Amino acid sequence: MKRVLSNKWNIMVFVLPTVLFFTYIVIFPIFKTLWYSLLNEIPAKVGDQSHVVWLDNFIKMFTPGRRNSFPGAVGNSLLYAVLSIFVQLPFSMFIALLLANGVKGESFYRNVFFIPVVISSVVVSLLWGRLYKSLLPQMFESFGWTIPKNGFLGNETTKIWFSFLPSLWQYVGYHMLLMYGALKSIPDDIIEAATVDGASGAKLAFRIQIPMIKPMLKVCLSFSLIGSFKLFDTPWVLLERSNMDLPALSMYVEMFSNHKYSYASAQAIFIVLECLVFTVLLNIVFKDRDERRLARGKGAARA
Amino acid sequence: MKKLLAVALAVAMLLGIMSFASADEPVVLKVASIWSAETEANRAPMLKTLAEFEEAHPEIKLEVEWYEANAWKDQGETLALSDSLPDVFYWNAGGVLWNLVSSGDILAMDEYLTDEIKDRLIGGALANMTFDGKVYQLPYTNACSCLYCNTELFEKYNVKIPETLDELYEAVKAFKAAGVTPMALGGGDKWPTNMYTDLITLRFVGDAAARACYYKTEGATFKTQDWIDGMTAFKTLIDLGAFPDDALSLTRDESEVPYFAGEIPMYVHGQWFSGSLSEEMQQKVKAVKFPAVGKGHDNEWMGGPAEGFSISAHTEHPAEAFVAAQFLAEHQSKNGFECGAGLPAWKTDVQCGNPVMNQIAEQVAVGDSLLLWGNTALSGDDATLIGDTVYDVLAGKTTPEQWCEDMETIFAK
Repeated sequence: MKRVLSNKWNIMVFVLPTVLFFTYIVIFPIFKTLWYSLLNEIPAKVGDQSHVVWLDNFIKMFTPGRRNSFPGAVGNSLLYAVLSIFVQLPFSMFIALLLANGVKGESFYRNVFFIPVVISSVVVSLLWGRLYKSLLPQMFESFGWTIPKNGFLGNETTKIWFSFLPSLWQYVGYHMLLMYGALKSIPDDIIEAATVDGASGAKLAFRIQIPMIKPMLKVCLSFSLIGSFKLFDTPWVLLERSNMDLPALSMYVEMFSNHKYSYASAQAIFIVLECLVFTVLLNIVFKDRDERRLARGKGAARA
Repeated sequence: MKKLLAVALAVAMLLGIMSFASADEPVVLKVASIWSAETEANRAPMLKTLAEFEEAHPEIKLEVEWYEANAWKDQGETLALSDSLPDVFYWNAGGVLWNLVSSGDILAMDEYLTDEIKDRLIGGALANMTFDGKVYQLPYTNACSCLYCNTELFEKYNVKIPETLDELYEAVKAFKAAGVTPMALGGGDKWPTNMYTDLITLRFVGDAAARACYYKTEGATFKTQDWIDGMTAFKTLIDLGAFPDDALSLTRDESEVPYFAGEIPMYVHGQWFSGSLSEEMQQKVKAVKFPAVGKGHDNEWMGGPAEGFSISAHTEHPAEAFVAAQFLAEHQSKNGFECGAGLPAWKTDVQCGNPVMNQIAEQVAVGDSLLLWGNTALSGDDATLIGDTVYDVLAGKTTPEQWCEDMETIFAK
């Protein structure tokens, strides 16, 4: 086996079908979309009538205008990213730490928190939709509280928060499980040594456990960020298709309702680039921190 | 030699069986229909139509997929991109149809559409389905929107069924004062709001000017006092509290539930709504034309043949697909009218058992004109815009003047 795999030609033969398939269904469409994004608006299947307009579609996306909602859509997705990073992930971490440090019924709670992840987003949206449209208003009425004008999902101020909540809630369990798995993989002797040295509770979490699962935190952050920029299904169902500005929703409406294939392709490329840029930035931030810590460690050793 | 002979005989038998089998095999056509929900008024007539087709055309087998209306619109657009539309499918007319016609996805029916078939249609039925002189769809219904009044609630609260806009305002105030939500509206879906704004603005603007705008005729403009007045009248209804407090959160079907339960007295919607009324409600509800404004457009209506069956340009069986599309359109027209789901687009002598539908049919028959709804007549992003802008007016984000400015942008393309 070793002999077979040591020959690069053999590896190529094994890998080639997958590479070709992947290129055909993933890489090729991305480049095709990029090409469309550089064209003028064309009927979907009449490509020969088109001509290159370079970055016009990208400029149009960010040209200020009363009815240009795309900049607002990007802003909303960034807000969702901030909520994911500063609310969803810390909450997931809190639950993961609680469970990993041993609570009665650990396995039960772990499964309970993970249940929303296995439910379809459409089902989650419909459940929360019922909550917002009947249960919550009834509760507000019984307590004598004021229901937001036009309802929880119709009010211009509240709808963004109420439509983000189901997605944030749904994926808490997902991040919790990733973090929980990473926390459980920390060798017991490290935890024991820290405990012997007097670390417990918050100190143990912040000084030992969280730093040790940093690679997993990076994965969670990446998933959160990319998920935020691609957010589509929950707001789509919860807010009746396109009643909120988000990049993926805007792209869908431009493509399938407005038939602006080139413009929608430009928006798709923007979403891809946005995901790539933030993933690279995340890598740089984590790499810098690692290097600084390594440098500090070396300095301390020399001293 | 014997072996060779045996093989040759076996091959001959196989070929014979295959040819025999293919001669008797029915042509299979894929059909996409809306009305997936059992509660849809058109569902039962469509099932009856399909049963009639099965009996009349055993040589053609229809494989029907059912969709919710909005879901099918999305699905249809997506399938069109990959040339995979079903052989025969439900679709809207006007600008929505033009989207697919312009991208070469829909078959022109002229080769199969004889004068004899055309004569069976009501006058002008193909107008919204004809582009560059070619017919791309056959209608199954003649649509229109009107004001549905629950007479029981009007009597209970001693309110007069409105005949003028001022009387409508008074009715809204009276119901509101009694703690009753005056009008149903599912604003989350956007298009139900267009039902209101189209009719109200029609009373001010008139068929000719509105038609010019919706069909983007040269010289047409939304920047007139009539358009502003029309949208201001709609804004007045909003300000009077005519619609549910959470109208923007509601879908069309959610918004209709309290109307069906007899809790809301008024609703502006299409004629198909009358088919969704229970027999008990059919006795209580009176369909009337939208209140008059006194600008000479009070007997004009929104609607017309706006939906029908089209054929995919990529079908392998165009002749059979036409037979199916024509049969479905004509029989659905008859069956739909018979059970009160819609006005017929084909000449028929059947009687409708739904008194509300009969009221609509009588009034539309003496109407001055029928104009396709703005969001159906317009296409692509123009259709999206008219939905988005009325949503914004309902949400209080856009004034009537800004609405006119926003709509005027459709002429700049």
